[in-house]
Amino acid sequence: MERPRFTPKMSRCLHQVAEKVEGLGQFVMKTRRTLKGHGNKVLCMDWCKDKRRIVSSSQDGKVIVWDAFTTNKEHAVTMPCTWVMACAYAPSGCAVACGGLDNKCSVYPLSLDKNENLAAKKKSVAMHTNYLSACSFTNSDMQILTSSGDGTCALWDVESGQLLQSFHGHAADVLCLDLAPSETGNTFVSGGCDKKANVWDMRSGQCIQSFETHESDINSVRYYPSGDAFASGSDDATCRLYDLRADREVAIYSKESIIFGVSSVDFSLSGRLLFGGYNDYTINVWDVLKGTRVSILFGHENRVSTLRVSPDGTAFCTGSWDHTLRIWA
Amino acid sequence: MSNNMAKIADARKTVEQLKLEVNIERMMVSKAAADLMAYCEAHAKEDPLVTPVPSSENPFREKKLFCVIL
Repeated sequence: MERPRFTPKMSRCLHQVAEKVEGLGQFVMKTRRTLKGHGNKVLCMDWCKDKRRIVSSSQDGKVIVWDAFTTNKEHAVTMPCTWVMACAYAPSGCAVACGGLDNKCSVYPLSLDKNENLAAKKKSVAMHTNYLSACSFTNSDMQILTSSGDGTCALWDVESGQLLQSFHGHAADVLCLDLAPSETGNTFVSGGCDKKANVWDMRSGQCIQSFETHESDINSVRYYPSGDAFASGSDDATCRLYDLRADREVAIYSKESIIFGVSSVDFSLSGRLLFGGYNDYTINVWDVLKGTRVSILFGHENRVSTLRVSPDGTAFCTGSWDHTLRIWA
Repeated sequence: MSNNMAKIADARKTVEQLKLEVNIERMMVSKAAADLMAYCEAHAKEDPLVTPVPSSENPFREKKLFCVIL
């Protein structure tokens, strides 16, 4: 039995309801900084809450902390493995977490003394039985959430390395996760190679909602700023929006001309814009409400692998297989 | 034999999960969509990428050179 295709013509989708909303003005964004220094594909990046520092990780095994205003490198760590697929900044700005093919998530406290060997203070926190695909600190430096190629997600205590909760339910590699905005309680969403996006209760370990409308791997998930919805990006070349209270997909962002997978998605501060990094080297900017593409940005010379909007929403950063990171504003 | 047992166990788990999910309250899409729109509208002015701020206020756009004190 063929599954009905979701098209904007179907009744009750976001774009229909938002028909009368005023369109956005002209949208101009350019590369304002290029961060060069990685020796191979950039796989992941994260912003510091101070809105200017960035941590990035690469296939070259290095994790670099940058000052995005000046493009200076502030710290660099060489991991014992290549393909560092995940990295995250601690909420305090005093540490970074990273991991990848080593199947672990390690935390490095950032020293003010630039000559200090960061690797010496490394703390191993998470242990999976396959690669680490994503990691994120929770509201504090004390806990880390991880997702893995072993099909599970897990919550860890940083200090002791103890496993606090594990999350089983994906039928294949979990590729991404995102924590709900703190006001909305203790949940997070994960996406995987089983084409599913699952919403989890962090305390009980229970999967509370599940969405399966993508036609291929889900590479990225990101909560809408209100916490009532989340967006996903997939190898099926579409981004989709799922509303948690309606418990269904409410919008799809796609074009016939876009045939390459989406690696990474993030919202602007108000949730009106959705930025998607694609495997065809471009960034597509979508009007979340109307479903139209507002802009297409060029610059990277290979796949865009990671994309995050800055904490104050003034810019976003992309990382690419072309070894560079770019700040767009 | 054990393969069948594993499949049955999996199916049981799926049924249990679905039983949990069937009871959640679902909102009408028209209402959910209206809420998303309202949120965008309420926060549009604070969103520097939707309501442009002068270049001088965007640290990445201003042309000032940053001096690094060595």
